[in-house]
Amino acid sequence: MKFILKTELYKLIKQSKTWYALGAVLVIEFIILGAAYYQGTAILELLLENLTESFYFEGNLLNGNLLLYVVLNSLWFNIPLILMIITSGIITEEYKSGTLQSLLLQSVQKRKLLIAKYMASLIFTVTVIVILGFTSFTLAYGIFGKGDLIVYLGTLNFFEEADAFRRISCAFLSGMLSMIFYTTTSITLGILLKDPAKTWIASAFFLIFCSLLLKLDIGLSNFDYLFFPKLTNSWQLFFEFNLDWKLILLQNIGLIIYSILFAIIGITIFNKQDIG
Amino acid sequence: MKKTYLLFILLQLSINCIAQEIDSDLLYIKNRMDSIQEFSADLELNLDVSFINMPTKHASVLFKKDEELDFSSEDFVMLPKRGLDFSLSELFKYPFITVDRSKKNINGTLTKVLNIIPTDDKADFALATVYLDIEHKRIHIAEINTKKLGSYTITMTYENKEAILPDNVTVTFAMEKLKIPLNFMGRDTDIDRKKMRNLDTKEGKIMMKISNYKITY
Repeated sequence: MKFILKTELYKLIKQSKTWYALGAVLVIEFIILGAAYYQGTAILELLLENLTESFYFEGNLLNGNLLLYVVLNSLWFNIPLILMIITSGIITEEYKSGTLQSLLLQSVQKRKLLIAKYMASLIFTVTVIVILGFTSFTLAYGIFGKGDLIVYLGTLNFFEEADAFRRISCAFLSGMLSMIFYTTTSITLGILLKDPAKTWIASAFFLIFCSLLLKLDIGLSNFDYLFFPKLTNSWQLFFEFNLDWKLILLQNIGLIIYSILFAIIGITIFNKQDIG
Repeated sequence: MKKTYLLFILLQLSINCIAQEIDSDLLYIKNRMDSIQEFSADLELNLDVSFINMPTKHASVLFKKDEELDFSSEDFVMLPKRGLDFSLSELFKYPFITVDRSKKNINGTLTKVLNIIPTDDKADFALATVYLDIEHKRIHIAEINTKKLGSYTITMTYENKEAILPDNVTVTFAMEKLKIPLNFMGRDTDIDRKKMRNLDTKEGKIMMKISNYKITY
């Protein structure tokens, strides 16, 4: 198992498209960060416009923490597709090139092979998000400095510098779970469709489907709390003024359960498939 | 000669009348406040506005006679444009007259209610109602109607009987509702429209705890 995992990771590192994807993700991050600076100014003007009649403001709100929050908002929509394209390739490329057949002719168990592929996808996703998090924090704090964070979620919420850092870090971790969910799903889609291009289209459709359902409000509380498209936005819960830890845990554990469930579905289908 | 004498008497009478228009207790408080040349203090600020969540903030304040209050803070702070001047120097900056509105017991404190009406157009306020703590000769509550910034109320409590400046100040003011376009909503599906409609004009409060006074007379 360990050997298979190492092989899968080696294949991921060796393929050029992994590095292209990482490069693309970082370029997107820099663009978002640049845009966030201008968007941040507009957001602040908008949020504080009504309050300038009543208040003086002392201190700087256009800082690294606000930019990180804006980056977080854009990141979780822009990054998943690139990650899904790379991780689905772990299985679809094998189908396409026929290497899967020769691999299974050796003494490799189907189940173990697929678990290793899901694990490789998980490690890849975590690595990308850690790199993204590290570069985002370094750039945002390095260029724009630290300070209090202002967020609008029904009410204007102000967080002190240290509190903002904690919340943004937690949001990155929660966002990472969403990304793991998406990349796990992409492998399952790859098993179903077997073809890289079809899987990319299905992945894009799945992303759009999730973002549409995320905005759908049918007034059922269980739907909001437990349906997977809704859970992909659970990182926002860290910016409520009073943290609802029960809901945060429920939604993030829900994401983990959905990821495992989608992986089990993938493994079950793969086990029943006649390769070759 | 007779006419000149009559004019002199009328002039004298009118001067006396104007002098009598300022309440003696308020005059005493004014003189007491005027004796402060400078003070500095530490502030703990707590904002109470239904649509704003802000943790407790800290700042320091420096007052110099005839100068604007100077606030400084390492944190981001929101300071109300109205009611920060708890020395109430603005009330006494320009000539005024007072009208006695009888006495009122507020939470066990017997207060004299006075209207302060500025007689100079340069004054920022149109009318102020002050509740004077008669026993301790200081202002307990001031309701101020400004010309440009609406109305606000300052309620002050003091550390001890001798204190000239308050240790707790609550400023109450009206605020307009927050207008945020939908695309800036963090989670745009969760808009509580009923709640938003109720946010037309809201009362805001800022509570200031003032400590470490350094007063120069």
